[in-house]
Amino acid sequence: MYILSTSAVSPQASFEQMLKQPAIYEGEMLKCIEPDYTEYIDPKLIRRMSRIIKMGMAAAVETLQQSGIEQPDAIITGTAYGCLADTDAFLTRLVEFNEELLSPTAFIQSTHNTVGAQIALQLGCHKYNNTYVHRGSSFEAALLDAASLMQEGEANTVLVGAVDEIIEKSHAIIRRFGQYKENGNSSNLFNSGTPGTMAGEGAAFFLLSNQKNENAIAELIGAQTYYKTDRPASDIINHFLLENNVLVDELDLIIMGNNGDVKTDAHYNEPAQTMFKGARLAGYKNYCGEYPTSSAFALWMAVKMVEHGKRLNTETSPKKILIYNNYKLQYPSLYLLSAC
Amino acid sequence: MNKDELMLQLKEQIIKQLKLEGKTPADIGDHDPLFVEGLGLDSIDALELIVLLQQEYNIKLNNAEQGQEVFRSVSTMAEFILEKQTQYV
Repeated sequence: MYILSTSAVSPQASFEQMLKQPAIYEGEMLKCIEPDYTEYIDPKLIRRMSRIIKMGMAAAVETLQQSGIEQPDAIITGTAYGCLADTDAFLTRLVEFNEELLSPTAFIQSTHNTVGAQIALQLGCHKYNNTYVHRGSSFEAALLDAASLMQEGEANTVLVGAVDEIIEKSHAIIRRFGQYKENGNSSNLFNSGTPGTMAGEGAAFFLLSNQKNENAIAELIGAQTYYKTDRPASDIINHFLLENNVLVDELDLIIMGNNGDVKTDAHYNEPAQTMFKGARLAGYKNYCGEYPTSSAFALWMAVKMVEHGKRLNTETSPKKILIYNNYKLQYPSLYLLSAC
Repeated sequence: MNKDELMLQLKEQIIKQLKLEGKTPADIGDHDPLFVEGLGLDSIDALELIVLLQQEYNIKLNNAEQGQEVFRSVSTMAEFILEKQTQYV
């Protein structure tokens, strides 16, 4: 499975800007830096769209533009929380107007599959379209479906991605569980030594193909997800590498999902201090924050690193990258990609 | 409220309810068609206008055919509202 292009709307303005001078956030959350949506979305459709739909649309359209493919054979989306702003608007009216006078727009746009549907509407794409809502493995489920479609010969190119947004109400609810730092600083996230993390959000899309062509940036050699396993991280990672016939020494970079929470970072420190001792390690949640589909941001970052490395063509550019994330220590996921 | 005042108020409410960003009441002619040509509204907007009538003026449309006539322009909407309000008085 080859990745032909990728794009993201994230708390970082762009990959190049992130390398040069990453955006730094203080407080409890990292919010997306949004582009000028009129460059990506039909003006007739844009007025009804909430932020998350526009974020997803912009990332998806930019991904397609980069790949030069106008119509993918399938559109698959992963989201844990879906369109929260419209859900909030709809439910608030439901309560305030005694279950009457409900806005049809908020209802229509509040469903989880709205982002995938709006992409299809704009493209006029009547092909396979599916959305996975699997909490911390929503993006992984979408990717698995894309791989299955291509393996079974049902699709040659698939647009796959993930979207999640922070809204005031959902954040207020989640923060009551003590998940976020009160005075976080994204530049010091991994060394804070305090409990909690910083909330994040984002949209990332990928154009996958079962054929390697001159535009292919990277090959996704392997992807794996688990649910609620007690196995230590090094055990999960070792098993994955063994299955894909890759040695630790062959990895140029390992991207880990530690989020600065002292209560959970020990899970990532274990492989870092044992099997990956001396290896090149990187975190990513200081750039995008913690959210259920953040592994899509990690994959975007890895693909962009490969693309950037190919452009620079230096010895030290990473060619083989492993990503390991374990959202809430319940959804371990792994990706292995190699430069084309 | 006379018809001119009501039409101005309706235009402001339509812009807000339908999120017609960048539009001002001056951009909407009193007799401009609201659907297809003119403002270019669609069937979802029609549902939003039904909600607007009910929410702001406590007026319920009895049938879909009536909507076609009422929502032809801001002027026809204003006439319908005034007529209904007179009936209640």
